[in-house]
Amino acid sequence: MQLDPTVITDSWQLFVTGAFITLQLSLISFVLGLLLAVPVAALSMSTHAVLNGIAILYLAIIRGVPFIAIVFIVHYGTATMGARTPAFWSGVIALTLFASAYFSEVIRSTVSALPPGQWDSGRVVGMSRLQTLRYIIIPQSLGPMIPPGVNVTIMMIKESSVISAITVGELTYQGLVVQGNTFAPFEVFITVALIYWGITLAFSRVAIWAERRIGASQRSIRPVGGIAERYLTLSRPKRRAEKS
Amino acid sequence: MIDPSVLSLSAKALVRTVGDTRILDDIYLDVPRGQSVCILGRSGSGKSSLLRALALLDPLSDGFIKIEGNAFGRDMNAQGLVKHQTQAEIDQIRSRIGFVFQDFSLWPHLNVRDNISLAQRIVLRRAPLEINETTNGIMSKLSITNLADKHPGQLSGGQKQRVAVARALALSPALMLFDEPTSALDPELVGDVLALLLELKAEGMTTLTVTHEMSFARRLADRIIFLEKGRIIADGPPANIIDQSNDPRLKQFFKLI
Repeated sequence: MQLDPTVITDSWQLFVTGAFITLQLSLISFVLGLLLAVPVAALSMSTHAVLNGIAILYLAIIRGVPFIAIVFIVHYGTATMGARTPAFWSGVIALTLFASAYFSEVIRSTVSALPPGQWDSGRVVGMSRLQTLRYIIIPQSLGPMIPPGVNVTIMMIKESSVISAITVGELTYQGLVVQGNTFAPFEVFITVALIYWGITLAFSRVAIWAERRIGASQRSIRPVGGIAERYLTLSRPKRRAEKS
Repeated sequence: MIDPSVLSLSAKALVRTVGDTRILDDIYLDVPRGQSVCILGRSGSGKSSLLRALALLDPLSDGFIKIEGNAFGRDMNAQGLVKHQTQAEIDQIRSRIGFVFQDFSLWPHLNVRDNISLAQRIVLRRAPLEINETTNGIMSKLSITNLADKHPGQLSGGQKQRVAVARALALSPALMLFDEPTSALDPELVGDVLALLLELKAEGMTTLTVTHEMSFARRLADRIIFLEKGRIIADGPPANIIDQSNDPRLKQFFKLI
């Protein structure tokens, strides 16, 4: 079998446009998803039965339904109710909902993994719940949140390909277009795959950097790192000497 | 100085139920200022639960606690109506209680100085100059000045405990509660902990200590409280409780130890 590089070189603009739109989709949904995840996580940790129930239901729906169904419900469902959302923004909404559910679980699990004594020790010196959260719990949770957060983000970037189904011109959609013109699926989708891989790789490099920075500012905590490093990099994680 | 007629802590009819179990069952306890109380009992007798309840860390099912005149729980006013405290009032009372946890529960993301000064700043809202002075004073008193810039992960067990005590003392508490202060330490450090507690006692601090160390209780306590199944079954000076009790439950306990 012969690979034909002209398939790619002739339509490189389409791949660049697609990659750019994928980046836009992912970046906007990443930020909005994180923002939405905070109240969802707060509700899912709430002891108030109704508030807690709302969060549980939300998480069950978003996590229990295929992403493509969420995309269709957001895009076509809202259209039938008279809200004509542009496909790009339907994609952003769907991806934000998706990301918020998984990010909120990252927040919840990291926060509840802290020893309960950390809450008690904040409360016992007279701090309010909010102060304990602000000064004791959150600063300790940020570092450990990064590895599972990276995981979710990478999943989210890859899942954005599903948004091609509502004709958003992102990377997978452009791949389908080029493939339709050239009948060369192998060349096209290897290229598409490499571009996705490049994006997630670049993101994980940023995450490793962030992890090191936060790890360094909290000398006491086990220097985080390693886990993000393992994702999508070709090198094996280096063992750092740990001071005990 | 210390006026022993003033109660530092007063607990009435404390009950704490979890599921069907009464972890604390009808506890009455008055502690005058300056008294050193040791709380003894088997595992699961409710010692730590009592300490946590007195520190207002766990909700009460019934009864109330007064700390330096501030009530918590079902306090009745003159008309016999239940008064409820706001969360801010409860937080305020909490800052009057020093609590040293069994595992110390230091804040690993802050260095020793910040562990000691954080609550002075955000709870008591002391001025920076005062915080600095208090923190330095407490650190030198507990001989941990050289650890000021270290993080808890870099400290030994004994050092962590001193930092935990410093963190509590920095808020000028009315009383100090110690939950098994020796259990997380090497045996040779027990003497150091005892010396520290005796020093606090000499300064007139009211202390309640949950312990398994009999030597500790003998040398430290003005008064021993013995718990069984969430009830106080003996309460008195160490000599009466440890050596002369005729209660078979106590006899058995001290024979085992």
